[in-house]
Amino acid sequence: MTTFKVLEQNNPRVDAWEKVTGRATYAGDVYLPGMLMCKVLASSRSHARIVSIDTSKAEALPGVRAVITGADFPEIRFGSGALKDRYILARDKVYYIGEPVAAVAAEDEITAQEAIGLIDVEYEDLEPVVDPLVSLRAGAPSVHPDLESYEGYGFTIEGGNICTLLDADRGDVDQAFAEADYVFEDTFRSQGINQGFLEPMACVASVEANGRLTVWASTQGPYQVRAQLASVLDMPLSNIKVVPMELGGGFGAKLRLAFEAYPALLAMKTGNPVKLINTREEVFTLNGPRHPVTNYLKTGVNKDGAIVAREGYTIFDVGAYLGAGPNSGIGHGLGAYDIPNFRLRSYAAYTNKVYVGSYRASGVADMTFAVESHMDIIAHKIGMDPLEFRLKNAIKEGDIAVNGSRVPRNGLAECLAAVKERLGLPRELPEGHGVGIALCEWRSGAGPSTAAISVNEDGTVSLLTGSVDISGSDTSLASIAAEALCIGMDQVIVAKRDTDLAPFTGPSGGSRIVYSQGKAVELAAEDTRNKLFALAADRLGVPADALVCAEGRVYVQDNPPQGYTLGQLAAMSVNSRFGPIVGNAALSTLPYAPVFSAQAAEVEVDKETGQVKLTRYVQCQDVGVAINPMAVEGQLEGGAVQGIGRALTEDMLFDPETGAVRNPSFATYLMPLALDLPELETLMVRVPSEDGPFGARAVAEPPGFGPPAAIANAIYDAVGVRIRELPLSGERVLAALRGEGSDVAYIGDELDELKRAEGLAG
Amino acid sequence: MLRFDFLNARNLRHAISLLERHGDEARAVAGSTDFLVRWRQSGPGRWRPAFVVNIKGLSGLGRITYSPQNGLRLGALATVQAIETNAQVRRRYQALATGATSFAGVQVRNLATVGGNVCNASPAGDTLPALLAFDAQCAIVGPEGPRMLPLTEFFQGPGRTALQQGELLTQLTLPPPTPRTGSIYIKHSPRGAMDIATVGVASVITLEEDGATCKDARIALGAVGPVPFRASEAENLLKGRELSPDALGQAAEAARNAATPIDDVRGTAAYRKDMVEALTRRTLQHALRIAGGQRVPFEEQRRLAVQTAF
Ligand SMILES: Cc1cc2nc3c(=O)[nH]c(=O)nc-3n(C[C@H](O)[C@H](O)[C@H](O)COP(=O)(O)OP(=O)(O)OC[C@H]3O[C@@H](n4cnc5c(N)ncnc54)[C@H](O)[C@@H]3O)c2cc1C
Repeated sequence: MTTFKVLEQNNPRVDAWEKVTGRATYAGDVYLPGMLMCKVLASSRSHARIVSIDTSKAEALPGVRAVITGADFPEIRFGSGALKDRYILARDKVYYIGEPVAAVAAEDEITAQEAIGLIDVEYEDLEPVVDPLVSLRAGAPSVHPDLESYEGYGFTIEGGNICTLLDADRGDVDQAFAEADYVFEDTFRSQGINQGFLEPMACVASVEANGRLTVWASTQGPYQVRAQLASVLDMPLSNIKVVPMELGGGFGAKLRLAFEAYPALLAMKTGNPVKLINTREEVFTLNGPRHPVTNYLKTGVNKDGAIVAREGYTIFDVGAYLGAGPNSGIGHGLGAYDIPNFRLRSYAAYTNKVYVGSYRASGVADMTFAVESHMDIIAHKIGMDPLEFRLKNAIKEGDIAVNGSRVPRNGLAECLAAVKERLGLPRELPEGHGVGIALCEWRSGAGPSTAAISVNEDGTVSLLTGSVDISGSDTSLASIAAEALCIGMDQVIVAKRDTDLAPFTGPSGGSRIVYSQGKAVELAAEDTRNKLFALAADRLGVPADALVCAEGRVYVQDNPPQGYTLGQLAAMSVNSRFGPIVGNAALSTLPYAPVFSAQAAEVEVDKETGQVKLTRYVQCQDVGVAINPMAVEGQLEGGAVQGIGRALTEDMLFDPETGAVRNPSFATYLMPLALDLPELETLMVRVPSEDGPFGARAVAEPPGFGPPAAIANAIYDAVGVRIRELPLSGERVLAALRGEGSDVAYIGDELDELKRAEGLAG
Repeated sequence: MLRFDFLNARNLRHAISLLERHGDEARAVAGSTDFLVRWRQSGPGRWRPAFVVNIKGLSGLGRITYSPQNGLRLGALATVQAIETNAQVRRRYQALATGATSFAGVQVRNLATVGGNVCNASPAGDTLPALLAFDAQCAIVGPEGPRMLPLTEFFQGPGRTALQQGELLTQLTLPPPTPRTGSIYIKHSPRGAMDIATVGVASVITLEEDGATCKDARIALGAVGPVPFRASEAENLLKGRELSPDALGQAAEAARNAATPIDDVRGTAAYRKDMVEALTRRTLQHALRIAGGQRVPFEEQRRLAVQTAF
């Protein structure tokens, strides 16, 4: 392994001081003179025509400065991706309980809240549809009757509420099933999930003296907010500046435009700055969570354990709008395995519920639960050890991945081996105890990434990127720059950015910051270093390739005293023919770099209550190179905890009649706490990626994928019952133990209908 | 209205007069842990008083005292944390100590008062089953003067109590336990802390001098009816009998039959009934161990109470 000076060390975070002293500024900390507070009126109906909105009483309330409704915005639909299916504020219809219908700006929050209560809306109810399996049937109430006329719409099944189809095929699946020794089918259902970030959505909007709009936002994607805001306000993008503030968690929920448009329009109407901070209840009811997903899997296996075919169908409930692209996880329907023939389909169906959002590799956790439970079921049925069965089918270097890319070198087998060794598998456990494993697969995220580095006269460097810090990514970017420029971490200044200042970059999400943005930083640092070397070579009268750098100096390799510090070079550069030293890089794609993680859970099941106690959790991930091992471990542990919550306690409940969120609070939406967790055992293997910065791979998403399946598999090992629906609650386990299993319904009829519509045999 | 006047009561008389004067428009607050949640709430069940009467500053109402003659006296303002950590409570009223330790988390326990837990009258209140099982008496003071009421008569429905306008709960009195008494509270909830009980059961067992026959048994159930209540049929099945596993099982079944839970976001009625049976059996087993003289350290009681493995 290369020896690093900065990487692979537990460097403290660059923002540690401001965070622990409480001085870091979040959007809610922005206070401006004359600032007004904004509150939002939410729809009380699941599906209704808006007959009239009377805002006169609200407007008359002393302290109220402006009230807006959908009619105050240009009549422009926007969307999270190509399909534009949504107005920023309801126009003539509401599509779910909680949908914003009006917004108020008042001199204080309480007055704004009181004004909200004075707005009269007359609705005419329409029939709602809440269950996606009902929604996709012909004859179901239509959520978007004019769907075909929406911009970006490209697919339909007649009369249904299906807005997108994703598909992937290879080989002859039907023949492979016909020839396989065994065929297995299972249907899995995962629950609705909220991202659970601590900082609610917040923003402040202000119209500047020059007429431009500035928005201070809690966002992962300042450029995305800028573009979407420009679109819904029908305003040139260049008239908007978005300043991303410190982020108190996002997990995908803050990738796009949220509620920034209301304070923005209210600021334009009143001339005063306007602030909006969501309540926790609003975070649950107005802002896109993940909805329950139904995954059907069918697998053909031969007697020797080789998988020959896979069919996968996902029914993906998107709620009222496709708030997070068509991403359903179906692209991960093969799991971490090499399967020659497959047919994968995902149908996204509208329902009258809050629109779907993104959450830490949206859909893949649901799919991993399905795939890894299914793998376990098959292994037991064909009498193979679950770990050996996985290893036999695991994808290897040189295989062709589901997306058609060649699989590069990777550490999948090493991860499995490390977990096996740590737990001493196969392992006999006492009565009522069990162990289960899961393999997780993800890819390192790419997308537009840019970086600029300038060398200061004192030898420090300023690093400018457009990407928002999430979970310490600024620290990782700084360490990449430091490593490449032969300086210490404390010599790198990470500039606070905004959309005027920093070059365009993709949002902070999808495991792309360290991998892709980090690559841009590495390239910008190389560019900077080349310029430093050129200047030094010029001044020293030696060729540039005779130079090396270390500890903040560039010097002649064969004669170390002959050289300059970075500070000296920076000072010289100002009046040299080279000019001040600035390095840049921009990139948008990187070759496919998979990430693998093996995870294992040990549980104890209480047979009287069904309650599952997690007694041990082990995970091992191939991280390529650990840019900062302490930060990587934090990511792996945090991800696993989110996955453990999905597995055991978290469950967004929707009223089956109205689609309303039934538990919009942390008192009823239960995320695991320290007391619910065992010591998490985190291992890493390091097989450097071919293209990532210094060989690093993405880290963030896979740790959250494994727990639901690993724990479900451990429950099976402990007490012999198979739970195919999340969460793995005491109630569900107890019912299964008594053979009353309220098992997931087989979705055969729906599948047949979907297949017929596609011209496949039912 | 979201706005309210915040009135600091100087003494008990002042508090009562403020409450009487403002009638339905007023609400007393102690720790405010229920109040703030209800005030913020947007839907049904929200509290929007015009006058908030703060009683937390009233002196002398937070004391916890024990004497062999009078038993345990809990001032209404005693915090749940003070009850949890009180040595006499831990030694003699294990079900109350375990009820307190299973309650929320340390920060909330430091604010929440036992009077607030009782007067909030949630069927899931964690101190309530133990208080019922120890035959607590309520000391109430109002415009008409003081009165006493058994706790069993205090609860009238979810959030409804026997308090009249202007009345405050000032103290709870628990008789001294007879020798050879053991007790415990077990709370069933998906999370090991900061969670409301799906079901809570407190059992108190007193043994005869022979150390085997049941002299007295008291079982109280939480979160499985409109109010927390005593499962008297289950209790009667045990009194005077030898406490074999069979006997405990029968009592557990009787407790199950006494429960009338509802379906809600925390669990279905059917599952709650199952939990009543399982938890009643468990609380009886552990109460019996303690009554029989076995030393069960508080840390172990705590783990049992919140059903965590670590
Ligand atoms: C995060 C959180 C977690 C919680 N977890 C739990 C839990 O695990 N278990 C549990 O049981 N509860 C829990 N609660 C609920 C709450 O903490 C308890 O009910 C607490 O005991 C209430 O006490 P308080 O002093 O805060 O009451 P307050 O909120 O001040 O008052 C509650 C009600 O009682 C009335 N009241 C208070 N004192 C008196 C009095 N002396 N005389 C007459 N009326 C009075 C008030 O008028 C009000 O109606 C939780 C609350 C929160 C916010």
